[in-house]
Amino acid sequence: MAAIETKRLSKFYGAHRGIEQITLSVERGEVFGFLGPNGAGKTTLIRTLLDLLHPTSGSATVLGLDSHRDRIEIRKRIGNLAGDFSWQPKRTGSELLSLIAGLRGVTEMDYAQALAERFNADLTRPLGQLSRGNRQKIGLLQALFHRPDLLILDEPTGGLDPLMQEEFMAVVSEERERGATVFLSSHELDEVQRMCDRAGIIRDGRLVAVEDIGELMSKSDRKVSFTLAETDIDPGEFRDLDGVGNFSADGPEISFTHRGPIDPVVKLLSRHTVVELDLTHPSLEELFLAYYTGGRSTGDRPDSGDGDEAAG
Amino acid sequence: MTGSPKVPILVARGLDDRKRSLLIWIVSIGAFCAAIVAIYPSIEDTLTDVMDGYPDALKEAFAVEDLNTPGQYLHAELLGLILPLALAWFAIRAIARDLPSAAENSFLDVLLSAPVSRRQLVATSFVGTAIELAAITLAAAAITRVTAMVLGVDLSLGDSVAGMINMWPLALFFAGVSILINGLRVQSALVSGLAAGLLVLMYVVDVIGRLAPDLDFLRYGSVFRYYGMAIEDGIDPASFFGVTAVAILVALAGALLFDRRDLPG
Repeated sequence: MAAIETKRLSKFYGAHRGIEQITLSVERGEVFGFLGPNGAGKTTLIRTLLDLLHPTSGSATVLGLDSHRDRIEIRKRIGNLAGDFSWQPKRTGSELLSLIAGLRGVTEMDYAQALAERFNADLTRPLGQLSRGNRQKIGLLQALFHRPDLLILDEPTGGLDPLMQEEFMAVVSEERERGATVFLSSHELDEVQRMCDRAGIIRDGRLVAVEDIGELMSKSDRKVSFTLAETDIDPGEFRDLDGVGNFSADGPEISFTHRGPIDPVVKLLSRHTVVELDLTHPSLEELFLAYYTGGRSTGDRPDSGDGDEAAG
Repeated sequence: MTGSPKVPILVARGLDDRKRSLLIWIVSIGAFCAAIVAIYPSIEDTLTDVMDGYPDALKEAFAVEDLNTPGQYLHAELLGLILPLALAWFAIRAIARDLPSAAENSFLDVLLSAPVSRRQLVATSFVGTAIELAAITLAAAAITRVTAMVLGVDLSLGDSVAGMINMWPLALFFAGVSILINGLRVQSALVSGLAAGLLVLMYVVDVIGRLAPDLDFLRYGSVFRYYGMAIEDGIDPASFFGVTAVAILVALAGALLFDRRDLPG
């Protein structure tokens, strides 16, 4: 049973598009990244899953439960961080956690305290006196402290400094090991690449792709550039390798893109004296930008623009 | 994890949030009541002459026939217009703050991430407002009675409580109206504005109905028709519980609408 499953889920605000025909399946125990720029529909999808918005058409289940009919049962089992987390400015983080613990019937606050220490969160000051990043820590705590089955996090690292982002990634990793599912939206491609098993890309309200992060990176073109000690080499032997493209050679300096097993490249290089070697995959950002510039230039899945095709 | 009584937890939290503002209302209204009572001994003897000078239509409009007793005087000065409008406004603002304003500030997103329903949020706001209204009216009754006792004004505790608590259903009705308007998905300022507009409209309709017997039927559409003069006549149970029941029904309808509408971020 999927942790999140949507079927042709659409939400329109009058004539204005929110999300359109989104079919998506997030498996239990996975960390799923939901990528897209502001206004693409990430928050609309999350708010629809949480029954804060009612879908125009289609259906959604969360942890096997209907997102509308079973909303209370769902809320018992999830932790949610809203994209613009905000709470009464005169209240402290401690007071907020006490309230949410009361509503959830949670009496054991050791994990909340441990998380507060890890995130260096100030639970004693009113939220109105905290910086955005410190408020975000409180938001993360209230989403995490009851150890939910599913975490839905909208832009979770917004405002966090790099150290806290690292800590957050460690917590997400622990949650995955615990068996929890994590569904997070982001426009920070790097964090999605580092944390997520799979990522969905949303564009103009439509889910245009769902990819396994590891496969996406391995199937995409890698950039190979190197400098050889010899000057009288025949660059053709590299150009003729399978999977080579965008080839250029300037004396001993050679670069090209390559797709497929790297072994032939390595074996050919071993016959030469290599002065310098650089082997890189395109970042998720480059892949992502390719989706947003009208089709893929890397990777191997065409831009379908159809939610059905994007089902994971 | 165990089940937890969510509405009592939320009501307690709401009352704690608003204890300072509640205290300000109690002190302000209590001071106003005390001042009005304090004036009475010095003008008591002139009130009959004053009343004789007023046109009958004016007396009819404000539902004042005589000012021969402290009860009639307090109804004319406090309970006929100013306090009911003030308490109704208090109720309107309380609902607007708890629901549409909290939604606009994304506070409801946090609460609705916990196992809480929108209906429970509405119930919380309605019950909390009812408790605050009861606190204000009972405190006003106590302050009025104590002031009267100190100054030798003939006003019993029962009459004082009846006069003050009689505003409770009326104000609660406008809490219900605010919840109903909130169910239609409008901004908090519009919730307050529309509910306050209805408050003024109902008062004006009641006045017109009293002035023009041919239009008396209009008063049945105004909650002020069922308000009366409890400080003199005692509480009319039918009106008191009837208006309370209507307030609850209107709030329920608002809760159903709120449940069905979107909660934009």
